[in-house]
Amino acid sequence: MIRVEHLKKNFGQLEVLRDVNANITKGEIISIIGPSGTGKSTFLRCLNLLDQPSGGEIFIEDENIMDKKANVAKIRQKMGMVFQHFYLFDHLTVLQNVTIGPMKLRGKSKVEAAERGMELLKMVGLAEKADAYPRNLSGGQKQRVAIARCLSMDPEIILFDEPTSALDPTMVSEVLGVIRSLAKQGMTMVIVTHEMSFARDVSTRIFYMDEGVIYEEATPEQLFDNPQREKTRKFINRIRNLEYRINSPDYDLYALNSEIEAFCQKHFFSPRMQHNILLLTEECLQVVPLTGGLDYLLTYSEKSSQVSLELILPASTGLIFSADKEPDTISLAIINGLTESLTESIVDDSLIIEMILKKVK
Amino acid sequence: MTTHIIGFLFLLATLFPGCADKDAEPNYTAASSVVASEKNLAKSDGRGMKDGSDLETARIGAMTGTIGEFYVEEHFLDAKHLLFDDINDAIVALRSRQVDYVITAYTTALLASRHNKDIGLLPKKHINEPAAVAVKKGNYELVEKMNAVIHRMKEDGSLEDLIERWLEQDGGDYDGPKNPAGADVPVLKVGVAANREPMCFVRDNKIVGLDCELIETIAADIGMRVEYMDMKFSALINALESGRAEVIVSNFTVTEERREKVLFTEDYFTNPQIMMTLKGADDMVQVDDASGLFAKIKKSFYNNLIRENRWKLIIEGLKATLIITLFAALLGTIIGALVCAMRMSRSHLMNGIARVYIDIMRGTPLLVMLMILFYVVFASTGLSAMVVAIITFALNMAAYSSEMFRTSIESVDPGQKEAGLSMGFTKVRTFIYIILPQAVRKVIPIYKGEVISLLKMTSIVGYIAVVDLTKASDIIRSRTFDAFFPLIVVAIIYFILSWLLGVGIDYINQKVSSAK
Repeated sequence: MIRVEHLKKNFGQLEVLRDVNANITKGEIISIIGPSGTGKSTFLRCLNLLDQPSGGEIFIEDENIMDKKANVAKIRQKMGMVFQHFYLFDHLTVLQNVTIGPMKLRGKSKVEAAERGMELLKMVGLAEKADAYPRNLSGGQKQRVAIARCLSMDPEIILFDEPTSALDPTMVSEVLGVIRSLAKQGMTMVIVTHEMSFARDVSTRIFYMDEGVIYEEATPEQLFDNPQREKTRKFINRIRNLEYRINSPDYDLYALNSEIEAFCQKHFFSPRMQHNILLLTEECLQVVPLTGGLDYLLTYSEKSSQVSLELILPASTGLIFSADKEPDTISLAIINGLTESLTESIVDDSLIIEMILKKVK
Repeated sequence: MTTHIIGFLFLLATLFPGCADKDAEPNYTAASSVVASEKNLAKSDGRGMKDGSDLETARIGAMTGTIGEFYVEEHFLDAKHLLFDDINDAIVALRSRQVDYVITAYTTALLASRHNKDIGLLPKKHINEPAAVAVKKGNYELVEKMNAVIHRMKEDGSLEDLIERWLEQDGGDYDGPKNPAGADVPVLKVGVAANREPMCFVRDNKIVGLDCELIETIAADIGMRVEYMDMKFSALINALESGRAEVIVSNFTVTEERREKVLFTEDYFTNPQIMMTLKGADDMVQVDDASGLFAKIKKSFYNNLIRENRWKLIIEGLKATLIITLFAALLGTIIGALVCAMRMSRSHLMNGIARVYIDIMRGTPLLVMLMILFYVVFASTGLSAMVVAIITFALNMAAYSSEMFRTSIESVDPGQKEAGLSMGFTKVRTFIYIILPQAVRKVIPIYKGEVISLLKMTSIVGYIAVVDLTKASDIIRSRTFDAFFPLIVVAIIYFILSWLLGVGIDYINQKVSSAK
C-alpha cells in the first residue's frame, strides 16, 4: 500500500533522512520509535508531502506521488493525518470541523455530512460537544475530534504524528483508546510515538529509526525484548530508565518529582508504587550529602518487573550506610522499609548506592 | 493708486458714525471704532491695548505665503514669527495670547475687528503694494486681454464703482456672475482662497467678492466663463504652476519674488497690511449684546448654520467626506489585498516592489503625498480633486491595510494550513476555507481603527480645493469670524461618523462570523 524507496530529506546542510526504505501493506499498524531528532516525524510528513523529499520515491497504491503529474491533493484525501498539536480549525465548531472536508471536497450535502459527522463524533465520544468550538475543549478532546475529522474523509491510511505528546498524562489514555479501537477495525495506520507500552500493544510491526534510516524493524515482542542491534538495545534500555542530575543542595525537588511521576505513569506503575518511589527518593536525598552533586538513576526492568534506584556520588563522600557513624535513624528506617536490598560500593572515583524497591501487591 | 485707497477709506468712515477720532491719523479715522486712537494706547500694562512699540521683539502672526509674512520676516528680525493658514486661526491665537500681533490686509482686519469686539487695529500701514491678477507664466496673450479690460474699467470708472460697492455695502446688488453660459463657452479656471471677505469669500454657499466680480467681469468681456477652485492661499501658486488653475485672483499683492513665478496683470486695488492686536481691559467698554450662555449659543447657531443656509455647506462637506472615505476604504482594501499578495509572493521582484511601495507610502506624510499627486503626478490629467483625493487615500490605506492583512494571515498557525493540506484541500482552497476566515477575524478590529483614522485623515483635502467637512467649517469661520462654533459642530459630526463606521464594521463582523 505504501512503498518507500531510498527516501532522502535534507534541511539545508542537515541530512535528516539518509536512505529510508519501507513497505507497508493494508491492515498493518506500524509504530515508529526512536530518539528525538532522528527524522521520525519528517519521514511521516514526507509520506503525504507536507515536507518535500530531497530524493527517492514514494508509491501510494502504486502511484508515484513524487511524480509532477500526481494529483497530490487527491492522494492526500486517502491519507489522513493526525498532528501532535491537533490543528483543529479554530473558526469552526466541532461538527463543522468534521463536515467541512466531505462538503467541500466530496460534494456531500450539509445534511449528509452532518449525519456522518455526528456518527464519527459519537464514535470518539464527543457527540455532546458538536456545537462547541475547539478552544473550549481539553487537549484529549481536541485530539479525538482531530481523529474524527480525519475519518470524515474515509481515508485508507492514517498517519499519526506523536498524537499524545502534547497532552497531559491524564488525557493520554482517552486518545490511545480511540486509536486502539481503530486498530481493531483494521485501519491501516502509521504512528510516530513515545508511548512504548502502547506501541508494543497495538502495533503489528515496529520501526526503530536512527542515523537517518530505519535502523531496525521487527515485531513488538522481538524489538522490545530482544533488540538485535546496538543502538536499538541502548534505546530500549534507556526508555526504562529515568536519569536526573542534581548539582547542589538547592536542587529542584518538584521538577524531579514530576519526572518521577511521568516515568511511573509511562510504565503504568500503581499509585502505591509511585508513592513509594517518591518517598524513597526524598528520604535518600535527606541522608546523602548533596554538596558534591549526584546522578539519580531510576530503572525499570520489564523482565523481572523490578524497580531499582541508583545514586552515584563522588567517591570522596565516603561510605554512608555501611559507615559506623549513625545517620538519621528515622530516614534510615524508612529506607530499609521500602527496599528489598541496599548495596554501597566505591568503583573508581564514584560512590554507587544501589537499592531495589520492594514489590507492592 | 494710493489715492484710490485713501478715498475709499474716507468713504468707510461714513459707515461708522460717531466714532471718528480727530486726533488719529487722517487715513484711518474712518474705522476708528476699531482702530486704536493714540490716547487709548497704553504701554503694555495689560490694561490697555499694545501700541506696536514692541513689534521688534514681539510674537507676530501672519498668513502663510502672504505679503505680510514676507514683510515681517524682513523687517522684524528679532520678532518671533508664527504662520497661520486662516485668519480665524490667527485670531484665536491672538485671543489665547500665543501671538501679540497679527499682520493682515486692511480689509480683512477691518472685518475681523467688526466681528470680534476684542480685536483692535494699529494705525500704521506697513505695506502699500497693489494687488493684481496672476496668470500662468508664458500666457502673455491672456494677460494682454485682461489688461485691456482692467484698463477700460479704470477709464470708465466701473472699477472704482465695483471696489466701492464691495467695501461699502458687501457687493450691493451684485448677484453672481453674468458670464456667458453654455457648454461651448471656454472655461477660465480661477484659483482663489475664499476666506477673505470682502475680497473673496463664500456667501449663500457661492464664492463671491470684489476679486470675483472683477474676474467675472473680465472673463465675460473676453468671452469666457469662470470656474473657481477654492484652496489654501499658500497653495495658489502651485496650482497655477501645475496648470490646475489658469489664473489666480485673491488680493494677490505684486512682489518681485512672485514675478519670477507668475505673470501679473495691471494692478486693480491697493490694500495695505496692518497689525491687529488684542484690546486691553480698559478698551472693552462695549459689552457683548447677547447675554447668557444659551443666548450666545443660539446666536452662534444662527450665524454659523442658519444664516445664508450655511448648513447646506456642512451637508455638502459631509457628502464629500463620506464619498472620499468610503471609496478610498473600498479601493484601498482591494489594492491592499493585491499588495499583500505581492508582499507574500515568493518572487523577489514582486516582494521587493511591494516592500518599496509600503515603505514609501508609510514614510511620507499623507498631506505631502496628496499635494504631490494633485499638483505634480496628476496635474496634467485633469482628474478632479475629489478623484485624486480618493486615489491618494486609497493608496495610503492600501499600504497600511496590506501589512495588516499580511500580519493577520501570518499570525494564523501554520498548522492550520498543514491540517487543511493533509485533508486534501489544494493550497488555494486551504487559503479560502481555512486561513482567510481566521485571518479576517483577527484583522477586523485593527481594520476598523484604520478606517476610522482614514475618515479623520480626509480632513486635509481642503488643501487641494475639495470642500469637505473641515473645509466647510473653515469657510463658515472665514465669514462669521467665530472661531469655535463651526469647529465644535464638525468635531461632533466627525465623532458621530466615526462611531457609526465602527458600529457598521462591528455589524458586518458579526454577520460574517455567524454566517460561518
